[in-house]
Amino acid sequence: MAVAARIRTRKRPLGAMVAREWPNLLAKAVLFVVALVMLAPLLWMISTSLKPESEIFLNVPRWIPWPVTFHNYQELANRAGEAPVFRWLFNSVFVATSHTMLVLFVDSLAAYAFARLTFPGREPLFMLVVATMIIPGQVTLIPVFLIIQKLHWFNTYQALIVPGAAGGFGVFLLRQFLLGIPRDLEEAAQLDGCGRWTIYWRVILPLARPALATLAIFSFLGSWNDFMWPLIITNEIAMRTLPIGITIFQGRYTTEYGVMMAAATVATLPVILAFLLFQKQIIKGIALSGLKA
Amino acid sequence: MAAPAVALERKRKAPGMKPGRFRDVLECYLFLVPYLLLFSVFVIGPVTYGFYISLHDYHVLSTHRPFVGFANYAGALHDDLFLKSLINTAYFAVMVVPLGNLISLLLALGICKEGRLTTFFRSAFYLPVVISVAVVAVLWQWLYSTQWGLINYYLDAGAEALRQLPLLGAHIPAYTPIPWLSSPRFAMASIALLSMWWGAGGNMIVYLAGLQAIPETYYEAATLDGANSWQRFWSVTWPQLRPTLLFCLVLSVIGAFQVFGQVMVLTRGGPDFSTYTMVLYLYLTGFSLYKMGYACAVAYLLFLVVLVFTLLQFRLLSFKEVD
Repeated sequence: MAVAARIRTRKRPLGAMVAREWPNLLAKAVLFVVALVMLAPLLWMISTSLKPESEIFLNVPRWIPWPVTFHNYQELANRAGEAPVFRWLFNSVFVATSHTMLVLFVDSLAAYAFARLTFPGREPLFMLVVATMIIPGQVTLIPVFLIIQKLHWFNTYQALIVPGAAGGFGVFLLRQFLLGIPRDLEEAAQLDGCGRWTIYWRVILPLARPALATLAIFSFLGSWNDFMWPLIITNEIAMRTLPIGITIFQGRYTTEYGVMMAAATVATLPVILAFLLFQKQIIKGIALSGLKA
Repeated sequence: MAAPAVALERKRKAPGMKPGRFRDVLECYLFLVPYLLLFSVFVIGPVTYGFYISLHDYHVLSTHRPFVGFANYAGALHDDLFLKSLINTAYFAVMVVPLGNLISLLLALGICKEGRLTTFFRSAFYLPVVISVAVVAVLWQWLYSTQWGLINYYLDAGAEALRQLPLLGAHIPAYTPIPWLSSPRFAMASIALLSMWWGAGGNMIVYLAGLQAIPETYYEAATLDGANSWQRFWSVTWPQLRPTLLFCLVLSVIGAFQVFGQVMVLTRGGPDFSTYTMVLYLYLTGFSLYKMGYACAVAYLLFLVVLVFTLLQFRLLSFKEVD
């Protein structure tokens, strides 16, 4: 806070300082309270997951779990027969990772062609891709479901991974970024006799790294958190992903909030860690594209 | 800024292109093949196929699928439950869009000046956005619990504190726990509240970008003219932020009309159909009743609603540029 710095440098009397700065201090205090309120549900989730049952249902809620117990997490492992949380965790990791890699590969190739190559049909094709971005996902939900059935992909990983990679957002984002890269390096590579594939691989991809990182994070989060698609495209318990698994818990162990919050924590900690690690790219990416994750 | 570069390249490449032209174009398209393959199988194909299905009586369990024209659309528009779901969804949007955007804007205004805690505030406000809707729903079910929920507890404690006040306190009735999710009166509002918690950070970041794009010189000029911070907000920030505001509002409406996960996990449309939303209606007709043609028609009606708001946005934004 700039306030503190100002006290030290200018050494004005405290009273005058408070009188001048009180709106600022008040704003900070309000923001702090709001931040606590925003974080409270998540803290409560983790807190509940670390409590024994006797501590969960109290007339006066206790925020700090004491003694801390991992009993609820143990229970997750014990119930692997009817609710295989760790299998779901594996599914989520595998699906989100594969989906992200597929998106990066396919979209960067297409974005390179749209941004850097000249060929007949380029503009209309790109317009078509952009135009389809306004179509809500629900429109393609049922036809894609029927196509997946015809492909015999129901209850498979490819059904969870592939269809979501067809969206136009990644192509759009990467193309915008590539348009902003100066052509000098490419031209130098061309003079050196490099073909398009070499240019794509050795010049464009390294330069596009910030945009690729942004797209990677969004794709990963989107796939990890997706709810509707895995809900309809799987029905075998072993093929579910974590978000669906959570609701299976909720349906089965209605009042066992300790176990439920433990499962919710398992599903949430990875994305929270990913967010804290990559928040710069995430914030920049949203500002860049006006997209809400 | 892209156009001149493209034109330049065309000019440069045009001569000497003739002999290997076909191979050249083919090579360009090779880059597009993987994406176009996905795009046609999972976007273009389904969009047209879906419309085709919506014109048929397509039941999963029956192989006879007669053409029925727009009967599915008419059927939906005459179905009381569909109309109720449309009204419920609009009610949800009316709660979430103005209030949610106001919150997002206030949060963005609160942290738009860089300070030592800015990163912490920004992360705290944004964190809920990265969480899966299933987790959000299960977590809020716990918070909303009538008997043991945190929210009822603190409301109770707050009411109790007010009752201790002299004079006024005697008139405040004892707090009865609110059945957040099990009463038709509160259920949709409860869904709206958790949705705002979930989504506030997303729009906040967009507003933040909009605020930071306003040139500092505008504020300096206003200050020189003797404007106080309130006047600076209304004369500089507000007009400058209009495109961002419009963008967020429209996207919020579109997002609100697609609300699904929260109600699917928490209420399944209940109690008494009070949280039955359009996408839930679509999902249940498609995947519980297996009426795929009908469900596709509902999807296209939803698309129509979304399209109206999208076109509205384009219209308003282009008008702004003309001014």
